[in-house]
Amino acid sequence: MIDWKLILEAIGILIYATFMGFIFMGIERKAMARIQRRVGPPLWQPLIDTLKLLGKKESVSHGFIYDFGPIFALGATIAALLFIPIANFQLFSSNADLIVVAYLLEVPMLGIMLGAMSSGNPFSGLGVQRGLLTMVAMQLPYGLAVIALVQHWGTFMLSEIVSEQQMHGWSITVPALLLAFIVFDIVFQAMLGLEPFDIVPAPAEISMGPMVEYGGKHAAILFTQHAIQLFAETTFFTILFLGGASNLLTLFLKQLAVLFISIFIASIYPRFTIDQAAKFFWKWPTIIGIIAVLLTM
Amino acid sequence: MSFIPADYVIPLLLFVPAVSGVLAWAINVKGIRELLGLIGGITPLAVIALAYNTVLNGPINYTLDARVFTLTFHLSTLTWYFAAVAALVASAMVFGMVSTSGSGYDWMFTLMSVTGVLGVFVANDFIAFFLFWELMTFASFMMVLKRNRHASLKYFVLSIIGAYSMILAIAMIYAKTGALDFAGVRQGMYLLTATHRISNAYVDTIYVLFLVAFGVKAGVWPLHVWAPDAYSETDQSYTTFFSGALSKAGVYGFLLLYLLIGVSLYQAIGTFHGHIGFAYIMAWLGAITVVVASFLAVLQEDIRKLFAYSSIGQVGYIILAFGLGTGLGFAGGLFHVLSHAVFKGLFWLVTAAIILRTGKTEFKDLGGLAEKMPYTFAMALIAVLSLAGIPPMAGFASKWLIYEAAISAHMPLVAGAIFLGSALAFAYVVRFLYAVWFGQRPSDLEDVQEAPLPLLVGMTILAIPNIVFGIAPGLVANYINKIFETDIVGGNYYKLTTPSGTYNALTVTLLLIVGLAIAGLVYLYGARARKIPVTDTYQSGNPVTNEFNLTIRKNFYLPLKEALGSWLKVSFDRFYERLANLFEDFGDWLREGFYNGNVQSYAWYLAIILLVLALWGVL
Repeated sequence: MIDWKLILEAIGILIYATFMGFIFMGIERKAMARIQRRVGPPLWQPLIDTLKLLGKKESVSHGFIYDFGPIFALGATIAALLFIPIANFQLFSSNADLIVVAYLLEVPMLGIMLGAMSSGNPFSGLGVQRGLLTMVAMQLPYGLAVIALVQHWGTFMLSEIVSEQQMHGWSITVPALLLAFIVFDIVFQAMLGLEPFDIVPAPAEISMGPMVEYGGKHAAILFTQHAIQLFAETTFFTILFLGGASNLLTLFLKQLAVLFISIFIASIYPRFTIDQAAKFFWKWPTIIGIIAVLLTM
Repeated sequence: MSFIPADYVIPLLLFVPAVSGVLAWAINVKGIRELLGLIGGITPLAVIALAYNTVLNGPINYTLDARVFTLTFHLSTLTWYFAAVAALVASAMVFGMVSTSGSGYDWMFTLMSVTGVLGVFVANDFIAFFLFWELMTFASFMMVLKRNRHASLKYFVLSIIGAYSMILAIAMIYAKTGALDFAGVRQGMYLLTATHRISNAYVDTIYVLFLVAFGVKAGVWPLHVWAPDAYSETDQSYTTFFSGALSKAGVYGFLLLYLLIGVSLYQAIGTFHGHIGFAYIMAWLGAITVVVASFLAVLQEDIRKLFAYSSIGQVGYIILAFGLGTGLGFAGGLFHVLSHAVFKGLFWLVTAAIILRTGKTEFKDLGGLAEKMPYTFAMALIAVLSLAGIPPMAGFASKWLIYEAAISAHMPLVAGAIFLGSALAFAYVVRFLYAVWFGQRPSDLEDVQEAPLPLLVGMTILAIPNIVFGIAPGLVANYINKIFETDIVGGNYYKLTTPSGTYNALTVTLLLIVGLAIAGLVYLYGARARKIPVTDTYQSGNPVTNEFNLTIRKNFYLPLKEALGSWLKVSFDRFYERLANLFEDFGDWLREGFYNGNVQSYAWYLAIILLVLALWGVL
């Protein structure tokens, strides 16, 4: 008993997500450029970059785990994407709930770090350290925001969260969840790796951190991973707080809204150091998060 | 159909390890010793496996008449589960011991603690429970004593405080109910509570005493201080059992609280914002343990210390889950008992292999071992994935249940602690991966070899359940449903469902494989990769030679240490050391003050006593 429709849908969504992810990356660059009064690259520039990387004549490797890391990251991102209900496509979302998806969205980071660590580069090492500390720092407010949401809607299923919102209004219209939304949006900045929390790659500081040793097809895989991750995370955000979407166009508009908030914040803030980020996350977002969960109890 | 007559199950379970241990010590000939050890370690697993059907049909009881007391044992669905976890870990541990230990002494106490732990799990009255509890403490103490006196004494003193708190609590229960067997205690306490013949303060005291008793063994904050020293200063193969199974005795104790005096505790402590009061305290103790121990694990510079703190943190999850007081909480906690035992046991065997082959324990001396010990590395990776809670590993399934349970039980802040704890778990396992397996290899590790075969076998024994129960978490969940005789966790072999969520491990696995296949195809499409050495790397455009140490091995998480700053100044370890010093000084003062060698003062003591007696009216 093979559900061909589901498989076709999954393949379609995967292609769409990859493509749109690259477009989102392009939008990010374009918007940043316009904010700084530049013209900026065309929207499909990241796609061209990736294809160029994939076409390199030679790539280097530091061993099996070095190769496996990016593959694992991309694989886990694809798996995460397929468990998220995307607009009217439910895909495999009945098989995994919010906690599973939230975890799966973090797994790619382990893949990237695994590969980066095995290169033995000190910048990679530093990047890994920063990545994990960012994760440690943001996890508490992130968890609190998710808990507030689940407590309010009373379910862990993403599709049910969407349908509840379609009946009772978006999450952000509930005062307590508005607080959770603020927390989640701050954390989201770190999830996307944008300023002020682009501590992991930190281009000017530690030369791209974990990605420093990657070139050629490895970098292409990581770019693709980033694109899909961007799509998956913006969708996740939309589902949790913006009422989900009933078709791809609505979803696109909401994703764009989410993305633009992040871009605007990112383009005016300088980077935090890692200990500042930790202290920041454990102060205001955590306090707001605790208020939010207590209000939803 | 059962292969062993029910009457023989419990004696075989309890006596085979102890007897073969003593024989191994007495004979102490290389070869025979190891054989006896293997027999002693594997028999419980075989017996437990064969007793499975019998236990499902009804509990197995066994009575041992020891003249003064009658010891009763009871293998029910619940105790079978705990005993099975312990037996599984024990069987992996003995394989590790074959490689790492060469003395009859080690075998005797190792197997004695196996008997102790199994005895604690199957005991059905407080006499047997306490006897085996002490046996287990003593045997593990002797294992630590051989390596490090200070660590062992710290462990022993805290264990003794725990054990005598327990005996006090048992005495208090006995004084009121007159019963020592579990059924009698349960009934007696229930009756006393129902008829209000027991004061709340009395029950509260029993509760605190039991909390201390079980808290010490489980390593609950703030009684965890013995664990980092004791876990690290012993044979690391033994720690597999020590942290994997022995700490579960404490956890089992917390469960006994519910079973035996739960009603009285509920009556005495009441509820707090809709939560069961006494359980709420346990949940918070667990949450604090998770956070504190995980933070400390992140900052360690020694493999053994790192995993010791990690063990404390993971047991904190179990206590937390039991503290939720809901069916889902118990299910999550019980599942985590199994998954913690298998992944942490695996970690300790990996550590044993590293220490055996390199002789080093600190991160600063290690690195680049993945190429030298590929199989051990693969096993370490499985353990890492399981501990960090990466689907589809056993560690994820159990953590998932605990998450769902904590949020559904409306304990958001406790659930927040798990979120933080699991991020920290991620951080410390990656630290372990980075410092031990990757990067440049120090030149003195060039001739390191793969771990010996018995250790590899032990690791494999523990790696299999990590994967099998990860992909088919329903196997465990179904059994847990049988323990409680209701369907707490729904679903089938591959799928777990709770009232509000679902996790299909098989789909996750399959989609992960599909994802990896797609990513692999992209990888294969690209140009062929050329392998380059570690030193051929980016160093701001500078050439790199082997003399440079490019791997960050020390103080990896320095920024976190700085961010925590003042919190780290508070240490329970130092507090206890200071307390111990105070007592020591007090003892000195007493001795020097009274036994001063002055005949005159002894005459005065006599005079004072006579005076007291005269005033009392005796003379």
